[in-house]
Formats: sequence, C-alpha cells, structure tokens
Amino acid sequence: MGGNRFGSCALRYRGGGRVMIKFANVSLIYPNSTTTVIEDLTLEIAEGELVLVIGPTGSGKSSLLRLINGLVPHHTGGILAGDIWVNGISTATVKPGALAHLIGIVGQNPANGFVADTVEEELAFGMEALNLPNDVMRKRVEETLDLLSLAPLRNRALATLSGGEQQRVAIASALVAHPKVLVLDEPTSALDPIAAEEVLSILHRLVHDLSLTVIIAEHKLERVIQFADRIVQINGAGNTIVGTPEQILMNSPIAPPIVELARALGLNQIGTSVREMRRLTSQFRETHAAEIVETKPTSHNTFIEIKNLTISYGGKTAISNVNTDIYENEIVAIMGRNGAGKSSLLKAIAGISHNDSGSVIVNGHDSQKLFNKLRRQNIGFVPQEPSDLLYAQSVNDECKQADTDNEIALGTTLKLLQQLVPGVSATTHPRDLSEGQRLGLALSVVLSSNPSLLILDEPTRGLDYQAKRILTRILIEFARTYNKSVVIATHDVELVAELATRTIFIADGDIVADGPTIDVLLSSPAFAPQVSKVMSPQPWLTVADVVRAIEGQQ
Amino acid sequence: MKKLTFHPLTWWIFSLATAFSVARVNSPTFAIAMVGVLSVIVFLQRESAPWGRSFNWSLKIALWILVVRALIGVLIGVPIPGTVLFRTPILPLPHWMPGIRIGGDVTRERLVSSLSEGVIICAIIVILSAAASLTSPHRLLRVLPVYLYEFGVSVVIATSVLPQIVSAVSRIRTAQQLRGQKTRGLKSFKRIAIPLLEESLARSLDLAASMDARGYGISKKRSRYRPIKWAGIDSVVALCAIAVVVAS
Repeated sequence: MGGNRFGSCALRYRGGGRVMIKFANVSLIYPNSTTTVIEDLTLEIAEGELVLVIGPTGSGKSSLLRLINGLVPHHTGGILAGDIWVNGISTATVKPGALAHLIGIVGQNPANGFVADTVEEELAFGMEALNLPNDVMRKRVEETLDLLSLAPLRNRALATLSGGEQQRVAIASALVAHPKVLVLDEPTSALDPIAAEEVLSILHRLVHDLSLTVIIAEHKLERVIQFADRIVQINGAGNTIVGTPEQILMNSPIAPPIVELARALGLNQIGTSVREMRRLTSQFRETHAAEIVETKPTSHNTFIEIKNLTISYGGKTAISNVNTDIYENEIVAIMGRNGAGKSSLLKAIAGISHNDSGSVIVNGHDSQKLFNKLRRQNIGFVPQEPSDLLYAQSVNDECKQADTDNEIALGTTLKLLQQLVPGVSATTHPRDLSEGQRLGLALSVVLSSNPSLLILDEPTRGLDYQAKRILTRILIEFARTYNKSVVIATHDVELVAELATRTIFIADGDIVADGPTIDVLLSSPAFAPQVSKVMSPQPWLTVADVVRAIEGQQ
Repeated sequence: MKKLTFHPLTWWIFSLATAFSVARVNSPTFAIAMVGVLSVIVFLQRESAPWGRSFNWSLKIALWILVVRALIGVLIGVPIPGTVLFRTPILPLPHWMPGIRIGGDVTRERLVSSLSEGVIICAIIVILSAAASLTSPHRLLRVLPVYLYEFGVSVVIATSVLPQIVSAVSRIRTAQQLRGQKTRGLKSFKRIAIPLLEESLARSLDLAASMDARGYGISKKRSRYRPIKWAGIDSVVALCAIAVVVAS
C-alpha cells in the first residue's frame, strides 16, 4: 500500500546544502503568560528538507510555524528574542506579506483562510496581491492546477469541495507564488486516510522534484513520519529537541504505533516506515502465531434499530436505505471517506436529522421524539466542535450547570472531569483549555446525565497520543463496565483498531462493510493500521495484540 | 432561470439608490413596495452560498426592529391628539421633563406615525442587506482599489464571516439541543452567543492571517486575473438607479 511507497532510508536527506531557514537563539513569550513557548532555539533547515514539528497539544507547534513568516509576533503579539532568517531575509525587519513570494503557509483549517469563491480565483488571489502580470498568472495557475491534480475542479465553488480537496487547494494557492518554503499546520488532521495519503505524497514529490523546503506540524505521526528528514520536538515550557526521526523517537513519549511496536518487541533499532519494520520483524512474524480472539458482541440486546433510513439534502442523497442494528455494550466505529455520510448517520441516530424515510429506534424510543430529560438520559452526543456545547465562563460553572440540569449533587460533574482528565483547574476558562482537555470537559458534561448511548463525531481531531489514550480508556470503560453503547465516526484507523468492537464502513450513503473491526480493517489496505501492515499476514491490529501473542507463547 | 451576472458594485448602487429614494419619498406604501421588489429579486437571483441565505435573517431582524420601535414609539414620547384607541396607565414624571410622557392614551394617529417611521427604517435595512446577499463579498473585494486595503480587509471579514455565522448558529443550536437545553427564548441567547462569538473571532483572525501571509496590501498596485468587467447592462441598471434617486 502507499504507506511504504516512498519511505526509504536511501532517499532521505543527509544534511549539507544551502541553509534556507535559520533560527538563532530564538525565544518567544506571549504577553500575560508566565511560561515561554520557545526558549533559546537554534536550528538550521536546509533547502529541500522536510522537517516535522511534534509536541503535545498547546505546546507551541503552531507558534513555531508562524514564526517562520513572521505572523508571530507581527500578527499575534508576543515578545521575540533572537533572530530568524529565511533565505537571508530577517523576518523581524519585514511584514509577513513581504515574505509571501518566499513562504507559503497553510493553516489548520484551510477553509477559514479562503478569500475567493472558486478554485481558480483562490489560486490567483495571492499573485494579484503581488502584482504579477496577467500572462504569468495564467501560466502559473495552469501549472499549479496540474501539479496538485486540481484541473477538473478549477471552476468549482470552494464551499462545495471535500476536506481533502480544500486542503489541496490551500496548498496550491500557497505554491502558486513559487515559494521556496512551504509551512503546513496539521495538513491531514481532518482528512480520511486516502485523502491524507494523496496530500502527503504530493508534498513528498514537491520536496524531491522542486527542492521545496517543507515544515509540517502533525499529531498523526503514523501518517507523516516516513517522509520526515528531521524532527523538532517541543515539550512545552520552551524546551525543544532537534534530531533525526530515529534519534527523537527512540525515547520520545510521543510515538506512532510503529515505534511503540519496536519498543514492545525490544528491538534495539526503530524503523520509521512499514518497509523497514517488516525487515526488522520478519523473524518474529514467522515464529509467533496469532490467537484469534472472538470479538462477537457479548450482548444480544438490540439497542439501536435503524430501518430503511434515507436522508437527502437538496436532492443529493446522503444516506440511502440503511438497515442495521447496534447492540448493548458495542463500540461501533463508522468509517468512510470525507462526505460519505458518516455525520448524517450520527445525526439520524441522535434524532436531529430530517429523514426522507425510515426510522431510528433508540432504546425503544423513536430518536426524533426524544426531548429534554428523556433525551439526556438516552443519548449523549459530543459534536465535532466540542466547544459548541460549552458556554460558561469557567470549567466550574460549566460543571455546575450540568449538575443542575441533571438534578444530581453539586460537584459530581467536576469530580467526573477530574477522573477523566486529571489536572484541569476549575477556574480556567473553557477556551483556554487544550483540545484534549476541552473534549474531556464536553465529555464529562455529556456523561453527567448518565446516557445509555454515547455518540462522538470525529473526536480525535487535534488530539495528541496521550489524550487519545485517555479517550480510549474512558470509552472502553463506559461500554464494558456500564454495559452501554458507543457510536463513533472517525478517520483515525489507529483509534478504531484500539477501541472499536465493530466497524461499519460507508461509501456514498451505503453500508459497504459491516463486521468485527479486525475483519473490516484487515480487508481494506488503505484503512489498515500500521501494526497490521507490518505484521501482515498475521491478523494483529495493535501493539497490545502483538504483546498478547508474545505472552501467549511463553 | 438563468442568473444575471452583474458587476458586484451594480447591486450595491441599485440598493443604495433604492434605499435613498425610500428615505426621500418617506411613504410606507412606497417602502413596502420596494421591499417587495427587492425580495423577489433576491429570491430569484441569490446563490446558495452563506451570504445568499443571510437575507432571511435580515427580514427577521427587520421585523423585530419594527415591533420594538412601534411599541416604544407608542408608549414613550410627545402625545399626539386624535382618536383614542385604548388607554395605558401613565407613569408620573418629574416636572422638569415637560412634554414627555410614558404610557397614557394611545391614539390612532400616534400608532400610524410610529408604525410608518418603523416601516421606512426597516425597509432601508432590508434593501441594503439585499445587496449583501446578492453580491459575493469575495467578488466585491476583487474590484476594490488596493489603497482601500484596511477597509477591504474589514469588508471581507464582516461580509464573509457574518453570514457563515448564520450556519454556525444552527450548528451550535443543534449541539445545545442535544445537551437537552432549550434553544429558544432569551435565556438560550447567552448559550448560543458565547460559542458563536469565540468561533467568529477565531475565524476572522484566521482569514486576516491568511490574507496577510499571501501578501495582500503589500504592493501598491494590484494586477487582475480575469478582471471583472463593467458591462453595458451594469451601466443601464446604474443609470436607472440614479434616475430613481433624481425623480424621488
């Protein structure tokens, strides 16, 4: 599969070459903050290098990226010490706009940065601002459309594009000014595995063909690690380490499954691509056999009944005639490409969709007819933006509100939150929490009403590995201990492998695969988790599965 | 029906002229007629983009303003003599506020005058928002001269972020509904307003940062990719609009 198409040590950049970006003793602190974001960072990035920035959420990865073209501190405020040069220009002396011909930057939500209506106009926007002559613009727009395979979309309205297409347009509009440096903030966090693969392989080609210097911040290391030449790890409180992926990942608490696997097997070497790891583990695969663990639902009580469900928006079918049952204490993952109908299905289960036909029965009630208390007791829903649920001025107020809503003892929700995510201060404003903490807060508010069903829409966007581990633990406990159901829509195959007992795969509003997670994930190469790619043909999905196999043999 | 493609400024000229003539003529009948005309145009011509949908909201807001304004106009102010419709209790005011009263007799003349003033104010709001929903803010930005940089940025942020907020409202309202909260009424306002305010601020900052990073406003001159041309039809519409202003 594409995962190991490019990942090879021989291709990797080996230092030397012209310096493109230079950080000299750079420190950054924001006003009204007591901790430095970056302290005394010295770093040289050469032309044609691909550098990955990693670190926990809220540690300052975005700040580091935005320092490169001066958006920090020109745009955000903050005190900067030290010097940053890009292609010999000091960023302190010029506005970010004056570096537009040199640096292309793509933000976390590319759609928020779109200025025009159609793909072609969006591409032209930056060049118009730079006052390039019309014939140059026409030529470059064509080139860039071809480079990113966007030509068929040239006249489409940006709002109608899928997540992966929007990401490609954002990259194209950054590249159209022929920059020497491309900076991307979590380019694959909102994308399904296939779209992510497309975007990353384009970046890889740009680095190799055009000697573009690329700096990426990303949480989902399993997707990008094989492309990285070097890693900058930010540990919070200003502490940074720079090194090759092997050096950094050997001891880092932030590690993709592939590295966790090497650690679990006690290898003295780690591999960053599936191909390398397969080479390192070939003997292991032959000497260990998998014990097939039955993953049938332990309960046969139907909890959700979906019958002949059809939903369409403005003539476009989102869900077409879906029939399925979900049982008690199942954790069901709904997967599929961007726009396949995952969110529509979740909304239908929650009873907030406009169904054309069919019905969803949750715990004996028509989900459309659940209100107030009855709704809270049956369905807990965590939306894609957890902050949509939150409106109080402090964590404590938010928890108190949930207590009064659910008529439970004051302080119950706060206690729950502290169990789920230890170390959250009750006086903090919800906006100042990290992504993981905010999800934890929304989850506690939802769980405080003790719902029988928990629905989560894309919960791992922007979460680091530690926050994901906590989420996994909470959800498994919720389903197993309390005998409840969880339905989760996600692009994160590693999460699904760790968590879900059953996976439903949808495409174009239809269920195309439905079964135990292990069967569904192993049958689709694009959606297979890293461990299973390394261990194929052995049917192991996670590091824990492999460890169990080792223990089983002893 | 085929959509007309005007120069982005044409709708604005047309709307401004209509709004101006509504204010000049000062007749509620004329104002309502103009709102009707503009509404028909908007419903036929608007695109299914966020700004296109913002027109419905401006209609709702205008209705609110009309009701509130009529109530205040009837209850507070200088009494107008005439046919008494009904009486409300009068609030005694100190002697140094002569000529003003709160409550008291509500006459037909008074009701008519405050309603017609309200109608004209609301008509102007609706007519201007019709232009906003008929023109893509992005196309508008492309025809603005570059020396209006700061102004251009604020126009793009205001006109493109605000309508997107309309869709954010329904998303947040759904989420709150799922939390089992009431989503109507004054109490729910805060619950929706706060996440909304945070999101729109974040969006605005993202957009401004993106424009800045792409060199907007750096060059004194600005080239045009497939320039938007001022066509004959635009002149015709603009001339008609000016004729309306002169005639009113």
